Formats: sequence, structure tokens, C-alpha cells
Amino acid sequence: MDNNEIWVYVELSGSRIEPTSLQLITKAKAIADGRPVVAVIPEATTVQAETIVSQYGPDKIEILVDDRFAEATDEEVSDALFQVMDKQRPNTLLFPATILGRSIAPRLQAKLQTGLTGDCLDIYFKDTLLVQVKPTYGDNIMCDIVCPDRRPQMATVRPNTFRAVQDSSATTKIEKPIFEFHKEEAASILSTKPIINSSANISDAKTVIALGRGAYSEKNVKLANQLAAKLGGMVGVSRPLTDKPEFGHDDQIGQSGNTIAPDLLINLGISGAVQYAVGIKNAKKVVSVNTDKDAPIFAQSDFAYVGDATEFLTAMLGQVR
Amino acid sequence: MKIVVGIKQVPQADSVKIDPQTNNLIRSGIQGVINPFDKNAIEAALRLRAQAGGEVILLSMGPDSYVTSLRDGLAMDADQAVLVSSRALGGADTLATGYTLAKAIEAIGDVDLVLLGRQSVDADTGQVGPIVAAYLGLPQVTFAESISLESANTIIAKRQLDTVIQDIKVTTPAVITVRSELNRPRYETPVNIKQSFDKAVTVWSETDLNLDPEQIGQAGSPTKVTSVYAPEKKGRQTTTLPTDPTQAVVELLNKLN
Repeated sequence: MDNNEIWVYVELSGSRIEPTSLQLITKAKAIADGRPVVAVIPEATTVQAETIVSQYGPDKIEILVDDRFAEATDEEVSDALFQVMDKQRPNTLLFPATILGRSIAPRLQAKLQTGLTGDCLDIYFKDTLLVQVKPTYGDNIMCDIVCPDRRPQMATVRPNTFRAVQDSSATTKIEKPIFEFHKEEAASILSTKPIINSSANISDAKTVIALGRGAYSEKNVKLANQLAAKLGGMVGVSRPLTDKPEFGHDDQIGQSGNTIAPDLLINLGISGAVQYAVGIKNAKKVVSVNTDKDAPIFAQSDFAYVGDATEFLTAMLGQVR
Repeated sequence: MKIVVGIKQVPQADSVKIDPQTNNLIRSGIQGVINPFDKNAIEAALRLRAQAGGEVILLSMGPDSYVTSLRDGLAMDADQAVLVSSRALGGADTLATGYTLAKAIEAIGDVDLVLLGRQSVDADTGQVGPIVAAYLGLPQVTFAESISLESANTIIAKRQLDTVIQDIKVTTPAVITVRSELNRPRYETPVNIKQSFDKAVTVWSETDLNLDPEQIGQAGSPTKVTSVYAPEKKGRQTTTLPTDPTQAVVELLNKLN
């Protein structure tokens, strides 16, 4: 009923390859157990993302080349993918759970009439079925979801959940499947502009200063921003602070916000609810500051400072060159 | 402009817990509210109606208790509401839900715009909007952070991706899902609350909509939930820093390097 392959959608923005797609190639290879791993890239002629993608060692790359992919609508991309997938029906199809991935995948799901699990935190095979682990209910609950009868088994997977590893030992075959680019008349991308200020996304930051309800004050926001600037990092928040005027959903760390993987994370006034913990588990070093010595965040930290966030920030600003 | 807003009733945020003994969801005593992102969709619809005229129809699928949140939406000043409700629809995943809503939108007829929240805060899938758009064969803009009416039948919406912002032009009919950054939903006023009780809430079943039994409820849902549990906690070896802030920072910086 399927061709036993695991396909990974390679998302592009201009010539930038979405890192999650590479992470998914590595993850797919790790769980493949003999199943071929295939990267599928809809791209403009000049991009040639396959040169970089092949360094991650998929067994095969399917390139769909048309210059209109540089600014294609969700429908145009999902239509092209449908043409290729409908014939081949992969066993599994993985997307990054980025805005684009979460927009194209369900549209394709409806065309393919199959199941899709959104925003997974883990995936693994149990016999022939892909177990898709997904948080739900305001981050309090995890579900294991499978798609027993229809193919492909589709999932979008949260960025930075896995690490991308290059693999030079594999040989990658490159193919160009037949498809037709169908222009969508009722929609068009008028312009694509780089985001000005926050060129960086918190999920890619090497250093993150995280503020929680327990440390929120105008002064601490300012000090945290100063420290972030000094360390070349970014300021993020836990869920309660997304309601504050200085912050929004994009700044949120945790299961329903961003999963982060910085080298250094400094938590200020964050209690450490499980949903937050899941969002920071890939951080290398975690430092936490809280006035409550029993705060659960300390159990998830490499360094604990029981005390005032303002004093800690001030001392950090004094010591960091 | 005839605008349908898809809404979902969800448990009050963060209040659902899991029983550590039975691994079942504890739902008792939890009040249902309109999914917060859907309120942004209602607000966007009301603003477009103010600009272009027309009507705002709320649409939901779920048990009879969902009338509560439809009434709340009507109290925000929507014109009427439709609830698709039947036991046969229970256990629907995103594909079956998208199919059912798409059929209801066809039945409402002559719809210019379908607005939905970017995702629900309980299931967090964000899939239903694009699935509805696919079933109806309509253009989509997801995660819109601004919507402007360019002419009677064109809309330009902004969508922010990870590193870029897109301006997307769609010709109506179209489907748009919205972010909370789009607007601030209005409060229900006493007058609107009073009037909401005179507004129609139509209830349709699968027979009213001629739904294919193979595409609804559990039968029409390709995905199955095999297990539900609390997220696991992960511990680290914790070093406690001295109480003096300067000493603490000095020790920290030494150990980090």
C-alpha cells in the first residue's frame, strides 16, 4: 500500500534551507530501519539546494524545479507535492512544524486523504506504524497518535527537537519526478521582505535570557535586554508574560511556543512548569534564578541561584565583559 | 460580504490535567470558552462587515453545549450561528472535521470569506483551516497578522514566516486563518448580550448536510490516539550558587568557561 520510503519536505526561503528539514533527514535515517530516506525539494532553478541537502545523506533527493517556487502559494506547493506523492504514496512524510510547514502539510493532507499529526515532539516506528508524539491541551497532555490504514503517515515536527548531522558515507541519488506547476489564479505572493529588527529567531539563539512572571518588572526587562545584548543573545518569556505589552507569542518559550536549544539559558523568575521544561530540554547549560528555593525549575537547571533577579542581573552586567 | 467564522469551544486555558493513576483526562468542572484565536477571527470579520457590509455567520461542530460559545460570539455582534451537531460526528480528527465544516460552508452558500483562528489552544493542530480550504478549492492565507480589503473581491494579508514577511493577495472566496497579533477582540456589551438571545442558532446534523458517513466522525478519521499521558520531567545535576550575587556570578562564569 506504500513504497516503504520516508520522505522529508525541504523548506526553502530564498536559498536558505530551513534547518528543521535537515534535522528531520538525520532523524529519519536514525529511525528508518532499512526504509529509504528521501528528501523532496520544490525549488527555483538557481537554488540547487540538493548540493547542501545531500551532505546529510538521504538515500534519494527528488527535486521539483520551477522558478515560480521562489514565491509560490501554499496551494501551488501542495499541488506539486500531491502530483508526486499521489503516484508514489510514501510510507511516511515529514514536514518542519514551521509556519510554512504547518500551512502546506494540512492542505496536502486533505488532497491525499490521509492523517497528519501537527507539531510532534518525537517520532518512532512501532512495527509498520509511525508513532507521532504530540503535546495537546494547553501543553499539559502528551498523546501518541498513529495513522493505521492510510498513507503517507504525515507529521509536522517542531524545530530544534532533533539535531542535524552530516553524513558523508551515504550515496545520494538525485531524481526529477514529472510534475506540472499549476499557477493558482486566485492567490499570489505580492512581496517577500526580510523581517527587519529581530533578524534572529529565539529558537536559533545561542544565548537566551528568559523572563517569567516572578521576575517581571520594567527594570528587569531593561536589564535582561542589556545582558542579552552583551552576550549576543535574545530575551524570551514563559507563557504568562506573552500578555505583557513588551512581549508576544513569538517570544514564548515552551511547548506551545518555541523549543529552544541555546548553549546558555538563564531563567529569571520562572517556576518551571512541565510545559516550559519541554521547551528548554535541549539547552546545553541552564542557569536559574528564583526567590523560591523549592521552585521546580531548579531540578531542571545546572546552576541554581536562590535570590533576587534584579541583583543577579546587575551582578552579571558588572562581571560580563 | 458574507463571512463565515469557524469557532471551536475549548477548555479554559491550562486547566486540563491528567489523573496520574488512570492516565485519563480530568475534565470535570472545566468551563468551555471560545478558542482565544477564534475571537480574533470574529473581530476581523466584524471589522470587515463594518467596511463592506454583509453578515457574519459563526460556524462550529460539536455537542449541544457548544451553543454557549456560539452565544458568546453572537454577543460580540455576529449576526447568526450554525452548529453542526450529532453523535455520528464524535471522535472526528482534523480531516473529518475539515470535511464536515467545508460541507456546512457549502450549505450556507455564497460565502465570500471563511475566517478561523490559527489553531485551537487545546488540540494545537492548526490544520482545520487549510483542510477546509483544500476541500472547498479556495485560496488560503494562514497565520495572517493583517488583513486589508483592497476591493470588493480582493484582500491583501500579511503573513510572517521565520525570516520573511509575505504580502499575499487573494481573490474571494478565500480562507484566512488569523494570529492574535491581528487585533484586540471587543468585549461583549450588555446591549449585544441582550440582543444575542434573539439571534438564530441553526443546528444541522449529518443528514441535513448529506454527509458521507465514511468521511465523518471516527470512521472518517485516519488518525487514532493510542495513548495519553503527562509529559515527563527531565532532571539535571544542579550546582547551587552562593547567595551573594557577585560571588554567585563570578563562580558561575568560572564554571561555564
